[in-house]
Amino acid sequence: MLAEDFNLPKQTHTIFSIMARGHFISSNGTREGMNRLYDIINNPEHFERLQAYFNIIHYQIERGNNYFYFSKMQEPQSELEKKLERFERYLDIIDLFASMDNKITIGSRFRPSEIAEECVANVRLKQKLQKIPLYRSETLHNKVREICDLLSRDSFLELEDEKTESYKVLDAYTYLLDIVNAIAIYEEPSTLENTKL
Amino acid sequence: MALQVNIHDILGQLYQHRDLVAYLFANRDRVSLNELIAAGSLTQEQYLKLKSLDLIYDYEGVISLNDAVVSMFEEFMEIGEVTPGLVRDYMNELQRQLRFYTDIRELRFLRGVKKYLKRIDVALSREIIKLQKNVDDTYKNESNYRVKIQKLEDYREKRDTIISFIKSTHDIIDTNRNLFNLSNDNELFGIVSALKHSLIENLDYLIEIQTDITDYINKIQLQLDSYLKAQQVKEIKDRGQLYYQTNFKSVIESVNTLRHNNIKTPRTRISVNALFTDEGHVLCQKIAEKYKLSRLLARGIAEKLSGNYKEKALEQQLKLDTERLVERFLNQEKQNLFLYLMDYKFPKAIGDVHLEDRLSLFVEIAMEYQNKMDFKYRLEYYNYNDAQQQHRKIGYTLIVPPKLKSSKKSKTPQRT
Repeated sequence: MLAEDFNLPKQTHTIFSIMARGHFISSNGTREGMNRLYDIINNPEHFERLQAYFNIIHYQIERGNNYFYFSKMQEPQSELEKKLERFERYLDIIDLFASMDNKITIGSRFRPSEIAEECVANVRLKQKLQKIPLYRSETLHNKVREICDLLSRDSFLELEDEKTESYKVLDAYTYLLDIVNAIAIYEEPSTLENTKL
Repeated sequence: MALQVNIHDILGQLYQHRDLVAYLFANRDRVSLNELIAAGSLTQEQYLKLKSLDLIYDYEGVISLNDAVVSMFEEFMEIGEVTPGLVRDYMNELQRQLRFYTDIRELRFLRGVKKYLKRIDVALSREIIKLQKNVDDTYKNESNYRVKIQKLEDYREKRDTIISFIKSTHDIIDTNRNLFNLSNDNELFGIVSALKHSLIENLDYLIEIQTDITDYINKIQLQLDSYLKAQQVKEIKDRGQLYYQTNFKSVIESVNTLRHNNIKTPRTRISVNALFTDEGHVLCQKIAEKYKLSRLLARGIAEKLSGNYKEKALEQQLKLDTERLVERFLNQEKQNLFLYLMDYKFPKAIGDVHLEDRLSLFVEIAMEYQNKMDFKYRLEYYNYNDAQQQHRKIGYTLIVPPKLKSSKKSKTPQRT
């Protein structure tokens, strides 16, 4: 069977190479023509064909709110420890963003220096930022930069302008918020905790 | 605008400073005079001239275009703030003209009625387009969420205003239907029916916009709720109870993205065959340059392979050494080329080199390096036994390194 038999869009290769890297394709991304790619996958006809095509090699396109990503079928989910550690760090970052006066939401544009400035002015934020475990972090500004770098590597943010260092929040950021929403908080601490107290 | 200017002056000045005007239009309320002068896009005299014409304003060092100019551009491009008030003005004017026409059936009032009906039609559509653009733009680009929600709410109000205008326009048309009929004016009928049609269409658009606005506001609200939740979870985390008081672990366990499961991009290796192509060679050269591998650098781009290239494999291998071999030959003085080749100890890797191979190498070198060698045009003979152990004799031309005078050489070997 030839690739043409699937009648796939000609961007299939680009879509694969982005998503197989573990990146999200967001509707409001602009780099590498991402919004265009989003529209292509979002077209129901294309979606079905792409899904069928990628399923053969055990990749599954997952749809979120204005974003797409790949998951792998029949793959043992590995390295739980690392995953937990990573999401704990995301949680720290989201908490920092949530505590800011000017909250960062989908479509927001900001510069790391703006966040750093706010952290300098606000002691609570500053403490939060300082507690986020990162490797190189001499100044608050560098720390925020590193956070932005981390999030844009995971394709939650996009570096829109390298000169002014301005980032844009992509739709994929919803994924993190969805995860947060999925966490259920038990009303009462477990009995074990109570006995300890 | 200053009274003494005329339209030519304004157009002339706008055209002369078109780059500046475009820049100021794009960067409203952000550009300072010093910035412009430093960038060389404005001189002090030009600034004074423009200011005297009231084309630009200067407020605390921030330069902005005259509002009239800005709104003119915005009207043309159908961007900028939504101003439904304009439609109301047209409606009031329409009603006034209708009153006049009811009293005095004069054509000039009917003309007025037509004019304002048309204007209402155009203005309503334009306002709706602007509304749609602004709603999208606010959701996508407004960075402060509180301002964002506020703006969206404002647009909701504006939408309601536009809807009420549409309804009252409808009412005006309905109440004056008899009057329109009496006028017996075909053009008026056309205008009224077109207006009615677009009123219905615009109402549909507005319903869509309403859905969008509600959707956007909900989304923002949802994000804010998620943030509250995140703060709550973080608090629990700070207390060290994340794994006991929430189902954090199981949620994260179910995360199925490639990146978070550490599934790497499928890695591919370059095929060896691809390295033998011309593109592959270019690639090799790049790598050779990077790591200073002279062996790879020396290889040229492959020529077209001849049909029997497999049989010639050995010859080609010999070819690789030719230059080296000639160099060595030129540096010695004892032997002529033919004898040198006959006695030459080829590297073991090449295997046995037969007499035939040596002969063809001899011919090859003689032809390729004839400028570097001294040809004596004198025949010498070489005796050997062939495969059938028969005695044979080969004649060859003496070829010697240029300085060596007394040695022997050949141009083409001649089998006897």
